[in-house]
This record gives sequence, structure tokens and C-alpha cells, in this order.
Amino acid sequence: MINLPANPMLFANLLTEPVGVAHYVTVGAVLFVCGALCMATKRNALGVLMGIELVLNGANLNFIAFGSPYLRSDAHNLGLDGQLMALFVIVLAAAEAAVALAIALNFYNNHDSIDVDRAAQLRG
Amino acid sequence: MDAIYWPSFFFLLFGGLACAFAVAVLLSSNIVRMAFYLVLSLAATAGLMFLAGAEFVGAMQLMIYVGGTLVLLIFGVMLTSQERFVEMHTWAGDWVKGFLAGGALLFVLIYAAFSIPAWRGIERATVEAIPAQKSVTPIAMGLLGARTDAPDRSGYLLPFEIVSVHLLVVLVGAAYLARAKRSRESKIV
Amino acid sequence: MTAWLVPLASFVLIVLFGKFMGPHGKGAGYLSVLAIVTSAILSLIALFGVWLPNHELPTPTHHTGEPASAGGDTKTSAGGEHAEHPNNAPPSAYFGNWYSLGEFGKLKLTIGYYIDSLTLGMFCMVGIIASCVHFYALGYMHDELHEPFVDHEVTLTSGEHLHRKGRFYRFFQYLSLFCFSMFGIVISGNLAMVFVFWELVGICSYFLIGFYIERHSASTAANKAFIVNRVGDFGMLIGMMALWSSVGTFAFGDLKNKEGDVVEVGLFSQLRTEENHYHLAPTQEIIAEESRMTGEPASAGGATESPTNKPGQWLLLIAGVGIFCGCVGKSAQFPLHVWLPDAMEGPTPVSALVHSATMVAAGVYLVGRFYPVFTPETLLVIAYIGCITLLIAATIAITATDIKRVLAYSTVSQLGYMMLSLGLGGWVAGMFHLITHAFFKGLLFLCSGSVIHAVHTNDMTQMGGLRKKMPITAYTMLVGCLAIIGAGIPLSNFGLSGYYSKDAIIEQAWSFANANPQHQILKWAPIAGAMITAFYMFRLWYLTFAGKPRDQHRFDHAHESPRVMTTPLIVLAIFAVAIGWPIFHVTDLLEQGRPVGTQATTHGELLTALVIPDEHLSHEPAIKTPAGIAAFCTAAAGLLLATVIYLWRMLNPDELKQSFKPVHAFLWNKWYFDELYHYLFVLPTKGIASIASWFDRGIIDSILHGSAAICRTGSKVVDSLFDQTMVDGTVDTFASGTWNFGLWLRRLQTGSLRQYVMFIVVGTVLLFVMITFAQSYLTPS
Repeated sequence: MINLPANPMLFANLLTEPVGVAHYVTVGAVLFVCGALCMATKRNALGVLMGIELVLNGANLNFIAFGSPYLRSDAHNLGLDGQLMALFVIVLAAAEAAVALAIALNFYNNHDSIDVDRAAQLRG
Repeated sequence: MDAIYWPSFFFLLFGGLACAFAVAVLLSSNIVRMAFYLVLSLAATAGLMFLAGAEFVGAMQLMIYVGGTLVLLIFGVMLTSQERFVEMHTWAGDWVKGFLAGGALLFVLIYAAFSIPAWRGIERATVEAIPAQKSVTPIAMGLLGARTDAPDRSGYLLPFEIVSVHLLVVLVGAAYLARAKRSRESKIV
Repeated sequence: MTAWLVPLASFVLIVLFGKFMGPHGKGAGYLSVLAIVTSAILSLIALFGVWLPNHELPTPTHHTGEPASAGGDTKTSAGGEHAEHPNNAPPSAYFGNWYSLGEFGKLKLTIGYYIDSLTLGMFCMVGIIASCVHFYALGYMHDELHEPFVDHEVTLTSGEHLHRKGRFYRFFQYLSLFCFSMFGIVISGNLAMVFVFWELVGICSYFLIGFYIERHSASTAANKAFIVNRVGDFGMLIGMMALWSSVGTFAFGDLKNKEGDVVEVGLFSQLRTEENHYHLAPTQEIIAEESRMTGEPASAGGATESPTNKPGQWLLLIAGVGIFCGCVGKSAQFPLHVWLPDAMEGPTPVSALVHSATMVAAGVYLVGRFYPVFTPETLLVIAYIGCITLLIAATIAITATDIKRVLAYSTVSQLGYMMLSLGLGGWVAGMFHLITHAFFKGLLFLCSGSVIHAVHTNDMTQMGGLRKKMPITAYTMLVGCLAIIGAGIPLSNFGLSGYYSKDAIIEQAWSFANANPQHQILKWAPIAGAMITAFYMFRLWYLTFAGKPRDQHRFDHAHESPRVMTTPLIVLAIFAVAIGWPIFHVTDLLEQGRPVGTQATTHGELLTALVIPDEHLSHEPAIKTPAGIAAFCTAAAGLLLATVIYLWRMLNPDELKQSFKPVHAFLWNKWYFDELYHYLFVLPTKGIASIASWFDRGIIDSILHGSAAICRTGSKVVDSLFDQTMVDGTVDTFASGTWNFGLWLRRLQTGSLRQYVMFIVVGTVLLFVMITFAQSYLTPS
């Protein structure tokens, strides 16, 4: 079993020492969880879309962190691949947003509502 | 006490802003405010990317995301923002379920992040010794299939092409999906 | 030790002359209060005047319990200079016999005493709380003084409320008897005497639960408590027999004559001999007894032990688990916890004294007293029982709306904490929690009694906003709530009493889980329990005292209780705040009473991977820091959740109830334990009883009619059994099974997008947890 790092100086040296991948991943995790919860709790379809954007951003931040030379300089660094991946993610997110928005508008036209709880046709 | 290492300070600033606005998006129930907080959160994330040495990606984040995608989203908000859809409250049960599951997920992720010693940062002297390098040219070359930074890694020409075509298809599809239905109905009638 | 006998004198006097004392037996109450206060003062004198001057408190690292003579008591060997071996020596204690009842072969039944610092600590705790409760009861039971006492909860068939004579004196008579028996358990010098007083507190509990005997619920609750306790005591008898037949003595300590030579060797000294460095080892008698029972030839004993053959260990395990069964019944642990919440039918002072502070803690006390006999495997059983109990009870407490039931489940849960701690090797932590818990839970119960006295209902949904009407009760109860959730400043040395004891338990759990990675659950359960505790305690407080009154009529009639009731509240609140502070040396006092041979890290004999870590290891910063932070964060999270839901009303509790309907119903019905026991035990018993009665009544006729009927039904059965059931049934079952499985799966497919996202999140977390567990089980540590 892995134990939590018992480093009492964990927060004290944040200002004087460079941050690591773990700190970036933490911010990414917060964004990701917020996004996932947005998807899970918002009843407005556009709120769900915003959740998706947040999730993608959290993932993107992780890619950047893994590729950054300033955060981790050993052989396992993703290097430029991380940034390229992030670019693809951004582009795909843009495409996804366009399609999802179109779907949302269509849904709005059909149901005269933007509440995703109305869309339960998949119920078994 | 050493002098303040400014990149860390800005990391804390931008990271804090990004997290705070993400939480604000989650907690707000007004769709217009959510969109606004989302813009700020994404901009702060772009700041983090700059800090990590990915200027180009950060700039793209600002331009495509904040400038493009979100404008699209806000159009969506405007198109659907009838009085009753601006404020939609979440059921209390969903909140509790969501916070239980989300808290567990967050705990797992952070626990995992900090359980790898190599991820906890490197020495200040080592970081300051890294020469600053522009990443725009290598990215452009990488997308065109030639890697100038790491010759042993493969290029991204094919994915680049696929994404281009994909974007085109998506845009056409989106236009098709979102077009006004009335003309067709009138035809049927 | 006259403290013990004073309540007995009071009891006898009240029994004989109760009816003639003052108007309506008021004098009985005063006599009883006088007696218990005398006991409390005497036990304090015994602690501070006799014990402490003669026994230095131990330094945290090693024992310096120098022998000191006091009075004419014989004395067992005090702890000494045994630096060369790791395990600790027996604590210093006084042991002796007053009166010998009889001898049966090797076994001597005596009335004796065994007094060490644990005994004295318990004496003071019981004395102080009982004094407070007695004072309080003078006010609370005031109604009983009126000649025609009107019981509003009982409606006769004529539609009127029951009128009966007041029973003020009888109440105090029972209370005195109870105090006497409780002191008896604590002071007992041997197991048989413990058992006698054990049953005495049981019967007192029965009387007191059934005090309002005319209420149906009260009398059934009393029966339930009594019967469930019998189940546990049966196990205890088995354990006693196992010990008797093998060891041949019930005495705790060694009996010495005037010159200081050992005349009779006590139980603990036999099992943990000095030659064996106070490690637990079965004696020759136990090995012989076990081999006699299993029919295998006795091996030569401890010298030729091979890893596969552990002579005597199984018998010790049986004895230990047997004794523990009794404690399960008395302390309302997991399989037998059902009686305690129902026991809340008794008057509130009884709940405070008997069913939260003292009697139910007697089980924990006995486990602590018997600690030297328990093998590591027994301790593991204890730990798991405690773990299950604390979680089950805590979850039930979330939904209960009866203010006393919430507290009752909280008691069960806290007792689970104590058992868990003892099972994990945290002897001092468990005993410390026992004492701190007694104070704050007594306080909480008395506060709830004050509320009930004011609004005449137990139902929290009819309270609310009472803070303005009864400020003393509200704020003393707030102190109690803060103490039970272990409020304190993390990583510092300052907090309420629960902060010290609960953190000590969590640290011990953490340390145990580090030593035994396969028992990770025992580390997370107390932490999760801390969160749930904080949630339901503050739910209770907010529902009762904060917000707007939900029943205006009751609110208007509410009033602060008379001073005879609020003074004990304040006294107990002071204790609940301060008893844990290090300047009072409670842990040091307990450390002095640490039973023989329980300090060192021990390894299991049957389960060789099992390690019970040394308790002192849990105070190292590497464990203390994360454990303290985790305990604080979870408690704060629970508190925050309760505040969000019940104080700020940001989330609507009714909506929550609606969306968690199955969970709520499950918890509301107390995990269906009552129903389960009803079908498993009550109905079969009734069935057997009715069969017996039928057999008695109509045996002759029935044989004739019956044989004919049996023939007829037999042929029918063959027909239906084979043709309809076997052949058709197989096919039908298969088809309907598939159909039902499909229907069940259909419910997963809700069509709600948001729910699918939630499934993904939960699935991810579960995957991670499963991988972690698989890793810790599969990879050798």
C-alpha cells in the first residue's frame, strides 16, 4: 500500500521551490472533477456542455504538464508530444462544441426545453 | 528563507483562479454566470500553460477556446435563454450523490498524483539552468511530419490531415443539424 | 472500599422503608443522592489520597511502578526493572479475598477485590456521573411525586390516561441497586464475581427500562434487553467454563500471604508467566485439556511447538471469544445491538447513567480487564465486530428522528470505537475513550432529557428553535456534540476530551493498518465513522435548537429546566471539555493500569501474518500527523454537510430523502435487523412453541386424523412435487429468472444522461479502489 508522502514542508516550500507535475495534475484533477460533476448535476444541456469543456481542459493541462521540461526533466518526459496532443484536443473540443451545440439547439426545437432530464428516450 | 520563486507564485495564482472559477461554474445555477466563470477558468488555464513553457498551446487555448468555442456556447445560451431556463436548480439528492462520488474521485486522483516521487518537482537550480526555447517552430515541423526536437519520434502529418478533414465534416454536420426545420416542414405540408 | 457498599445500604433502606420516607417517598431520593455522593467522594479520596501518593504516574517510556505498602492489603508484584525483555510487567494492584463462598475441586469461589489504577479510574468516573444523574433525576422524576401520577403515553380502553401512584422511591431504589452492582463489577477480584454483578446490572437495567411498565413499548423493550443479553451471557458462560476446566481459577491476581509469597497463582500470571517474558502462552493444563477434547495425544508442550501445531491456542481462542460474547451482549455490539435503542423507553436519567455511561461500558471494561487472556486472533475478532458495529450504528443514526434513539445509536457506535481500539492493541486509547465518552454521552443524554422534559416529545421533527427558550441546555449540548466529534486544533495539544481519545483510536488503527496491509478496512472505518458521527450529532443539534420552531404549540410551552437539572449539565460539560487535557494525566493513570504483557508488539499464532502493534508506536509523528489531519478533515466535512443541510437549508432534506429512498428506507428500518431476528429466531421459537402446545392438547385425536391426512397430502405432494415442481418448475424458473434479471437490468438503463456520467465517475473510483486492494493483497508486503 502506498502511503501519503509524510512531508510536512509540502506547502511551506511552494513559494520558494519550483512546482512539479503533481501540482499541475492536482489542478487538472480539480478541473476534471468539477467538469464531471457539472455533467452529472446540471439540468441545463448547455451546463452539461460546459462541464465537457472543463473536463477536456483538465486533461489538456495534464498533457502540458507531462510534456513540460520545467516540471520533470528525466527520460520519461513527453516532450513536444504533450503539446501536440494538447493542440489536437483543443481542435477536437472546438469541433465537439459545434456539434453538441447543434444537437442542443435541435433538442430545444423539438422538446421546447433545454432540460436534459426530459431526454429519457433511452430508458429501458 | 529563500527568495520567492516567481513562477511558483504565478502557478499558485493561476491554479487557484482556475480551480476557484471551475468550482464557481459547478456551484452556480445561472447559465449566463456559468458561461462567464468558464471563460475566466479557461483563461487562467491558458496562463498555466504559459508557465509550463507551452506558449503556443496557451495562445491557441486563448484564441480557439476563449475566443471561439465559448462564443459559440454563449450564442447557444442566448438562443435558448428563455426565462425558465436561465436558472435551473439541481436536485438536492444529485448534489449529495455528486459530491460523494466527485470527492472520492478527487481524492483518488490527488492521492495518485502525489504518490509518485518523480512528479514532485525538481531542484530550483536545475530548472533555472534550462535554456528557454521557442516551441512554435518545432510544433509546426512536427505537424508537418518532421521532428526537429526529437528525431527518433514520429511526426504528426497524418493525424493533422485527419483532424483537418474531421473539422470540415463536423462543421458541415453541425450546420446541417442546427439548420432551421421550418422549411422542411413547410415542404411536407 | 466502602464506596462500593454505600449504595447497597441505601438500596436496602429504601426497599425496607421506602414507602414511609417523607411525602411520597421523597426522602428516598435524598438518601440515595447522599449515598452516591458519598461513594463518589470516597472513590476520589481513594484515588487521590491513597493511590496517587503511593504510585508514581509512569513516564511514557518505561514503567516505574514501585511497590508501596498501604493498609493491610496483600499486594501482587508491582512492575519492576525488566528492561532486558520488551514486554511489560503486571501493573501494580491490590488483590485479595473477603469471603470464600465455597470450593469445588480446584475452583474456589470467593468474593474478592482487584484494585488497580483502572479500577480507581472507573470508580471515580461512575461515581461522578452517577452523582450528577442522581441530582438530575431529583428534578426529572419530580412528576412521580404527585399522588395520582398521570401517564400521558398510556391510554386506557376507557379513553382516559392512566392514573397510578407515584413511584419516586422505587426509581431511586433501582438506581442505588444499579450503582452498587456497577461498582461491584469494577471491583471484582474474579470472574465468577464479575458474572454475578454482571447479571445484577442486567436485572437493574431490566427494571429501569420497564419503569413505565404500563406502556406496552416499555415492557417489551425491557424484555428484549433482557433476552438479548441472555444470548450474550450464554457465550460468556462457555468462555468461563473453558477457562475453569483448563486453568482452574477465576481469580485475576495472585493471592499472597502476609510474607509476600504467592499462595495461589491467578489467571493472568498463569497465562503470562514471568519466565515467558509475559508473552501469552497456554499453560500445560490448557494444552492437556485441548488434546483431551480433540483426542490427540498431548505434545510435550511449549518446547516442541512447531508452526503447524499450536497446542492450546484454539482453547484460548474459544475462551476469549466466549468472554467477548458476554461483552457483545452487554455493550450492544453488532449482532446483539438491537436492544439498546429500544432501551430508550426508560426514563432519561436511566438512559444517561445505565445505557450510555456505565452499564454498556461494562462490556468494554471487561474486555479491557481480560486483555491478558486474549490471543491476537481473538483481538482481531473483537476489532472486526467493533468496526462493523460502529459503521452500522452510525449509519442508522443518520435517519433516526427520535432524539434519544439518535443518541442511543451514537452510543452503540462509540462502543464500537472502543472495541475496535481494544482489538487493535490500543488498550489505553480504548479505555480512555471509555472514560471520556462516559462524560460527554452522559451529558448529551441529560441534555436531551432536559429537552424532552420541556417539550414532552422525543420527536425531533416537532422541535426546533429551542435555543432561545433553553440556552443552558442548548449550549451544554453543543459542548457535548463538539466533544463527541473530537473537536480540537489538529496537530496541537488542545481540544475537547473526545479529541484526545478519538485521535488516539484513529492513530492506533492507522498504525495497525500499516503493520497489516490486508486489514486496511480497519483503518478507513473509524475515519468514515468520524465523518458520520459529526454529521448526525450536528443534525441532532440543528434540528432541536436551531432554525424555526416546527411545532408552535410545543415551542410556546417549552421552558428552561429547573436548576437541579441544569447544574449537573454544567458540571458534566466542564468534565466533557477538560477530562482529556494532558494536565489531568488520565492517560498516564490508565497507562499505569496497563494489563500484564500487552505492551509489546505481538504476533498471531494461528494467523501468523497478524501483527498487533505496540501502542506506543502509534504516537510517532509519521502516524500521528496524517491520522490527526484525516480525523480532523472528515469530522469537519461531516459538520459542514450537516450545516449545509440543516442550518443553512441549502439542500432540502425532504428532497434528499426522496432521491435516496431505498437507502433511507433501509436505514430507517435499522438495516432490517429487527425483522431479520423476528423471522430467524422469534417466529421459529413461536412455531416450536405452538407445535408443542398442539402436541400437548390434541395428541390422541391428532394422531388419527393426522395419519389420514398425511397419507392424503403425501400422495398429493408426490404428484405436485415431481410433476409440477421438478419438471415444470425447472423450465419455469429458468425462464422467469431470465425475465426478472432482464427487468432488473432494465432499471439500470434510466436514460438519464446525468446518471450515466455518475456511473462513470463511480466506476472509476471503484476500479481504483479494487486495484489498490488487489495490490495490497497480492503483493507480499
